[in-house]
Amino acid sequence: MTISSPRELSSRLEEADYLCDDGLAVGMYLALRMHRPLLLEGEPGVGKTEAAKALATALGADLIRLQCYEGIDASQALYEWDYSRQLLHARAIQDGALDQDSRVKELFSEQFLVERPLLQAVRKGAGAVLLIDEIDRADDEFEAFLLEFLAEFTITIPEVGTVRAEAPPAVIITSNRTRELHDALKRRCLYHWIEYPSIEREVAIIRLRVPEAEPILADAVADAVARLREMDLSKPPGPAEAIDWTRALHLVGAPPVDEAAANDTLGWVVKNREDQDRVGADLAKVLGLG
Amino acid sequence: MSVDRIVELGQALRRAGLPVGTGRLRTLAEATTLTPKDLYWAGRVTLVGRHDDLAVYDRVFRELFGFEIHDFPGKPPPEMHLTGTVTEQDMSVGDTLPEMDVPEDVKMASRIERLRRRSFAKLDAAELAELSRSIDRLRLVAPVRRTRRRVGSRRGDLDLRRTVRRALRTGGDPVTLLYRTRRERPRRVVLLLDISGSMSSFSRALLIFAYAALLADRRWEAFTFGTRLTRLTGVLRQAKPDEALARAAQEARDWDGGTRIGDAVREMLTRYGKGDAIRGAVVVICSDGLDVGEPELLAEQMARLHRLAHKVVWLNPLQENPEYQPLARGMAAALPHVDLFASGHNLIEIEKTCAAIGRL
Repeated sequence: MTISSPRELSSRLEEADYLCDDGLAVGMYLALRMHRPLLLEGEPGVGKTEAAKALATALGADLIRLQCYEGIDASQALYEWDYSRQLLHARAIQDGALDQDSRVKELFSEQFLVERPLLQAVRKGAGAVLLIDEIDRADDEFEAFLLEFLAEFTITIPEVGTVRAEAPPAVIITSNRTRELHDALKRRCLYHWIEYPSIEREVAIIRLRVPEAEPILADAVADAVARLREMDLSKPPGPAEAIDWTRALHLVGAPPVDEAAANDTLGWVVKNREDQDRVGADLAKVLGLG
Repeated sequence: MSVDRIVELGQALRRAGLPVGTGRLRTLAEATTLTPKDLYWAGRVTLVGRHDDLAVYDRVFRELFGFEIHDFPGKPPPEMHLTGTVTEQDMSVGDTLPEMDVPEDVKMASRIERLRRRSFAKLDAAELAELSRSIDRLRLVAPVRRTRRRVGSRRGDLDLRRTVRRALRTGGDPVTLLYRTRRERPRRVVLLLDISGSMSSFSRALLIFAYAALLADRRWEAFTFGTRLTRLTGVLRQAKPDEALARAAQEARDWDGGTRIGDAVREMLTRYGKGDAIRGAVVVICSDGLDVGEPELLAEQMARLHRLAHKVVWLNPLQENPEYQPLARGMAAALPHVDLFASGHNLIEIEKTCAAIGRL
């Protein structure tokens, strides 16, 4: 599927229930056309991971997700052998007519290969969106390994051979900026910082994602969330929290969004006890009632 | 957009201090052919690689192309307030060695030994610089934590990969079982140094401490605070100690004025505490605890820090005086959330503390 402008991509994403700002649309469009990874940063909950999911839906591609964590290594990212099946098979064929070489060959064949995300992505090629999530959690060494992978999109499995992507998959990398990524990796990527949405866009996002909620509820939540973001909380709510809160308020019968309803559902939008105490004391103001 | 304009934008950004290489400009040139109407965004996603640089990009772009960008609500970074700095002179070596009839190296060694025992408060700038060059690395072995990564070992979990490989030699019978275990890594150490007025005699020494610490392990972090928080990790990683310390001193612009420890801890947690920078780390706070902020806030933030970090160490140079009691309101509020409370008023004490941290 070819997409011929950022505008077109933007409307496709909207059909996939994702409203993006112009910068993100341009960034994704260029990433697709130039075959470069797009590095997304932003506060938690602004929709970095969602963006990749929506892109996959918009392109009709498979989303392949590699969740990074400290200590992740090649066997968790590329491929692994299915050892228990190999062992069983090795015993099954030991009395057969096969010579030693053929046995080894059979043991290390496709049927015992467990594909991990990067190998899956290379095999799917352009039919996949590869999401490398929270890369800042992985070690430096893994980042270097990833850089090499992103440049070539080839994986060499000694026993099987080299797998190469015919057309590279779209790649979205997200980072929460807990550490600075290496310059080499950044040079390889396009970069976009996702801001908190404006109130209008937030209302639109909420209505798109929680269609069952009444419009006036979406307005009230977007207003309140905007005020919460100005309160210097230790964890300000993102659009993800706004969506959850709207759902919760809708379920307890809002609108109207009064102090009682907001208090009952506060845990969906403010997720830290000290923050909750502060917000709770000022709830009328946050809701625009005071 | 013509190539000339792209080069012009690149040069303007370089003048403004952004690292815009030729490769990035080439990428932009390609991008503009793909989406000619979105020059602002195309430039932004191709030329900028850090959130901190976005404001500069916006300014340069506006100056060059002369229109406002409405879609980007970027806030300018907070103004840094300059109240005093350490000069290059402070950080460099003075040549005030007293003349004595002893061989040079012995003189040097005994002199350094004396400096190591002297309180930081009583060292002048030259002595401090001399001392700084004697610590090339801080011998601090932080407590370890287990990582996900596994290495072969004599005990632990069964390592199927290696066992299967070995089993092929014996016709698929896993005769020899091989094991693997999780690798251990030292925890990150995060230094939070008070450089406010009441600590000023110790502050410069603490910078040297931070410098030596960052040489010991590049994953460590260093912050200073007085009324505001400054992250010094990047500056202190410079190669030359004198230069690094001078630049760090310039960066940390809070040498006078009161201490707001609670605010500093909160800012550190809010800005850096969401990921792995502080989670599971050993946090070392150096401060006399003479806080002008609210003790409730400090207690609350110290509790938060204590939950996130592995251990919290507090070095208070006032303990140099054996009569000292942690009665100051701030110190009393913080103490329940501190795992190790020590002095650290001279190098010997700091080394002792380092050893104690390793045993935490």
